[in-house]
Amino acid sequence: MDPKAMAYLGAGIGAGLTIIGGAAGIGRLAGAALEGIARQPNAAGDIRGAMIVAAGLIEGVTFFALIVTILLAIK
Amino acid sequence: MIAAALLLAAALGQEAHQPAHDPSPAATEHAAATDHAAPADHGAAAGAHEEGHGPSDVLMHHVTDQPFAPFGIHLGNSKHLIFFVIAALLVILLAQLARRGYRAGGVPTGLAAAMETMVVFVRDEIAEKNIGHDGRRFTPLLLSFFFFILVAALFGLLPFSATSTGNLAVTLALATVSFFAGQWAGIRNFGVVHHFTGLVPPGMPMWLLPIMIPVEILGLFSKPFALMIRLFANMLAGHMVITALLLLIPLMARITPVAGIAMAPVSIGLALFIMILEVLVAFIQAYIFTLLTSIFIGMYAHPAH
Repeated sequence: MDPKAMAYLGAGIGAGLTIIGGAAGIGRLAGAALEGIARQPNAAGDIRGAMIVAAGLIEGVTFFALIVTILLAIK
Repeated sequence: MIAAALLLAAALGQEAHQPAHDPSPAATEHAAATDHAAPADHGAAAGAHEEGHGPSDVLMHHVTDQPFAPFGIHLGNSKHLIFFVIAALLVILLAQLARRGYRAGGVPTGLAAAMETMVVFVRDEIAEKNIGHDGRRFTPLLLSFFFFILVAALFGLLPFSATSTGNLAVTLALATVSFFAGQWAGIRNFGVVHHFTGLVPPGMPMWLLPIMIPVEILGLFSKPFALMIRLFANMLAGHMVITALLLLIPLMARITPVAGIAMAPVSIGLALFIMILEVLVAFIQAYIFTLLTSIFIGMYAHPAH
């Protein structure tokens, strides 16, 4: 198989896997945060702040992986 | 105070920026195939006569730094640098205009009222909550981070502009300022020796130290590194997605013109959606950068909790 085609294939599969991971992480996080807010509406502000920080960290790692796939796709 | 902190950031940014763009990319003669302004007809035409450039060339041309020459006037070698300075000046101008709103005394109106909401939010919800009682000291720095990142990201959404925070050198400079702010906070509270010995949690058994010391040193540098990559990647990714969506039009038109025309409304609609998302992302990224910086400062200033 042509190495360039392999790179494109790898980038595509990699981007898909990255999104699966990031979506699973942020989805679990948001679900847990909503449950927490539903149980304890007073703590909504604190929970939201903590949720955004954790979402930012997950998103950062996801972007590391996405940049790797972009580098594969444009080479 | 805001202006002083921002000027420091600006000086650092330019310093860090200068060497980065010296090996100027040879991609200058690529005609801009897709701009935000003229997606449909221009894009289709570009697809027809630009057989030599692949989609990835157009994509990279859109997001990398390039010489800036509006209306044939050459304005230096770096578009990002120009928009960096414009964004910084705009933040200073906004701050000065907002200050003017207080001069009459009493309740601020207009711009000052709008700015006050965000300033008070950063002071109370970000700085004082995460740094503690001395968070007020860091509020000017955090405010300049917040407003610079916000303005730079929103500026990048205008046609023919560029997002200066979509350049690794600029985010490196911002993260460097954030790193030194944290170190300064720790050193000011505990002194140089105690600050660095305090990085390892107290009560650690002796045999764990050879593992913990490298881990803590790594942690010291990975925090600003993550800040740098996160902001850069966020700003880059949105623009790449918009360009890729608009690129679908010439790619489809290359198959048949009918497919290209049919694709145009779909592409423009999706690109519009992503652009609206980008406005949201601008606020969220400004918030996250400021919040994480204040958390790191608080971590070094009061390591006990």
